[in-house]
Amino acid sequence: MSDQEGQTAAVATAVRLAGDGPLKPLEEPRGTGGDRPDADIAPVRVVSRRFRRQRWGMFMFILPALVVYLVMVVLPSLQSLQLSLTDWDGVNSSYDYIGLRNYEEILGSGRFWNAVRNTLLLGLGSAVIINVISLVVALLLDKLNRGQGFFRTVVYLPALVSGFIAATIWKYMLNFNFGSVNTLLRDLGLGDVAQDWLGDSDLVVGVLLFIVCFTLGGNTTLIYLANLQSVPQELVEAARIDGASNAKVFRYVTWPMLAGAVTVNMTLAVIAGWTIFDQVMVLTSGGPGFVSETMAFFIYKVGFGEYRAGYGSAAAIVLFIVVIVSTVLANRYMRKREIQA
Amino acid sequence: MTYAMARPSSRGVGAAKPTGRGARRKAGIALAMTAVAALALTGCSTTAGADTGPADKTTIRFTYATGDETWNSVVEGVVDAFNEQSDTATVQLDPLPAGSDYATAVKTMDATGNWPALIDMRDTLTYINAGKLAPIPESVTSLLDKNVYGESSDGNVYVVPTTALNGEIGINIVYDKAYFTKHKLEVPETYDDFIDLMDEIKSNGDVPLATAAGEVWPSDQLWKPLAAPVFAEWGDEGGFWNAVQAGEASIDDLRKPLEELKRITDTYVLDGWQSTADAQTTTLLVNGQAVMATSSAGLGRLLDINKVDPDFEAGLFIIPDEDGNIDVLKNAVNGDTATGIAISSQAAEDKKEYQAAVDFLEFYFSVDTANLIEKLGMIAPNIADSDKVKRNTSIPGADDFFGLLENPNLNWYSNEPKLATFSSFNTFFRQTRIEMQDGQTTIDQAIEKAQAEFEKIAAAG
Repeated sequence: MSDQEGQTAAVATAVRLAGDGPLKPLEEPRGTGGDRPDADIAPVRVVSRRFRRQRWGMFMFILPALVVYLVMVVLPSLQSLQLSLTDWDGVNSSYDYIGLRNYEEILGSGRFWNAVRNTLLLGLGSAVIINVISLVVALLLDKLNRGQGFFRTVVYLPALVSGFIAATIWKYMLNFNFGSVNTLLRDLGLGDVAQDWLGDSDLVVGVLLFIVCFTLGGNTTLIYLANLQSVPQELVEAARIDGASNAKVFRYVTWPMLAGAVTVNMTLAVIAGWTIFDQVMVLTSGGPGFVSETMAFFIYKVGFGEYRAGYGSAAAIVLFIVVIVSTVLANRYMRKREIQA
Repeated sequence: MTYAMARPSSRGVGAAKPTGRGARRKAGIALAMTAVAALALTGCSTTAGADTGPADKTTIRFTYATGDETWNSVVEGVVDAFNEQSDTATVQLDPLPAGSDYATAVKTMDATGNWPALIDMRDTLTYINAGKLAPIPESVTSLLDKNVYGESSDGNVYVVPTTALNGEIGINIVYDKAYFTKHKLEVPETYDDFIDLMDEIKSNGDVPLATAAGEVWPSDQLWKPLAAPVFAEWGDEGGFWNAVQAGEASIDDLRKPLEELKRITDTYVLDGWQSTADAQTTTLLVNGQAVMATSSAGLGRLLDINKVDPDFEAGLFIIPDEDGNIDVLKNAVNGDTATGIAISSQAAEDKKEYQAAVDFLEFYFSVDTANLIEKLGMIAPNIADSDKVKRNTSIPGADDFFGLLENPNLNWYSNEPKLATFSSFNTFFRQTRIEMQDGQTTIDQAIEKAQAEFEKIAAAG
């Protein structure tokens, strides 16, 4: 039995044992009334009416959240499409339609492309780094026989702190004149190593990348750890009996089993990277100059700080397209890999 | 600091379906828990909403941008004094924390229909044009010197000054007087003297100047005195920015001050300026990490220094131009750069709120309040009865500040942009300068970039 079949069987058993899952009424009559030809039909009709009622009930439960989501997220998002074609300042009730001028300006703006480059660097860079580090940490945690709970908590702790607060703490730590990092370096006689971590244009994006990875790593590690713990031990043992080394066990057994987790983690990390905002806002305000602006920060800055809501909306539409296209392409690639696995 | 009232949720109650005794008990428990949570959350709130004062008092909010400690204590002191004496109104402070983005905060208030009655206004023209501000009545403006407020194009006054309109005379270099005395240094009388002074400090092995650009806006503190001679040349011609808009001047005319800015940054400024916050320059000065620091708080910065280290001898001056003139921008009393207190249109929809706001402004511009403001360390607004105000000269270094106002070389100039969206360009120009100071771009590139942005914003209107 493959692992997938095993999981399906386990789910089916769990549903049968639970007895009140949505599948139970459909399956039970088929098993018990097989000797009467019409006995199958009437209960199915009753059940399907009941099921339809239940479905309406379920729908009613999610309706309030759906309405809030539509009103607060979907409609404003659609409206930003309209606003992207205007010169609205975000305050005045009147504005003019200016066609695609905002888009033309965005695509010809060096500042925008710098923000795109930073976003790609932070998005892809953080996704790769976070996944590699998290996988290594998860493998280490998986091997621990004692204190796994403690170390799991330690690894996850940074993810519990909001990005804004974590960034504020880092801002104090990395301050050039008073920060603990530079103070420690100077006290150790390494004054030359002390840097203006958040003010040096050559360093600042790398520092942001480090902080983003530090904050977002906890969730990724836990997902890998959960998947590692569900790798069937009989496969691992069989490989070992066949003489496979640890590296080969990982390469040919564990890694393919983690394909789904890699897809989920990479997708989540890339999306988180595309929309990095808090860290930039708190740590650098996009500076020095414009050097550390990301697309999300650029949208905020022009839309709110510079009273160019139409222009900011156009940038948001471009960001949306980038996120959708890159996520779909990345997912397609990784799904193929899952099928091969 | 104020917090919004916590709104108790009723979802917990709705979640229980009372179909039996057990269910009723569960619903009762849920209700009790919701009530306890609501009470607890309300208790957590440090200030209450509009219903906390006596029933016959109208509560209004005053939103202001927090800054240096002196300004914060002035606002709190004046509001406390008003609340104590008023039988009809209570003013609740609604501070925007340091580092928060003013434009975003105000736009969010606007988008949510949550305007305060009184607001410390910036980007004024944008909000006047959008109809978000209410006219300030003559009962308030009559308390002020006629030169410190101006009528808008519709004949109404929308903004009145929070403090004395001494223009940008508060953009200073604060310095360590004891160091100057010890090394026999003098306050510079010309721009060349200023450079010589910094060379001498550097030759002593010390860092001449601390400045800040971490929050972007403080980068003006070094730039504005350097650019002032160019701006002053255009003062009588309608102002530099209007000349650029009309095509009579260009950003290239600022090349010389941009070169000076670059040279000073590279040669004399303490490392780390790119990420240094405005308030940190006080600490850098008091700690002796730099002999001078830029400031835009005038007398307030001297008071802050005195609070940090009462023994520190601070003085201040303004960077003079090559001929020894001290060019200082006059305040705009109208237009996008005019700042001060405004009453929101939303408050004007409620007669009681509007009246409470007017009462507060009348109190703000009284002689007693002017004396209180002076006592708290700021120069009181230019009220009509200013000769009755007792000036506070007790702050160490205050003589230097008042001396600037009497300086025969003081040259007031105007540079009030007509462009309603000038603030958009101003933010961009600051970042462009920082980029150039940091060496990411050349002066030519910075000029070209700023010129292109100005033209784009001017074309968009």
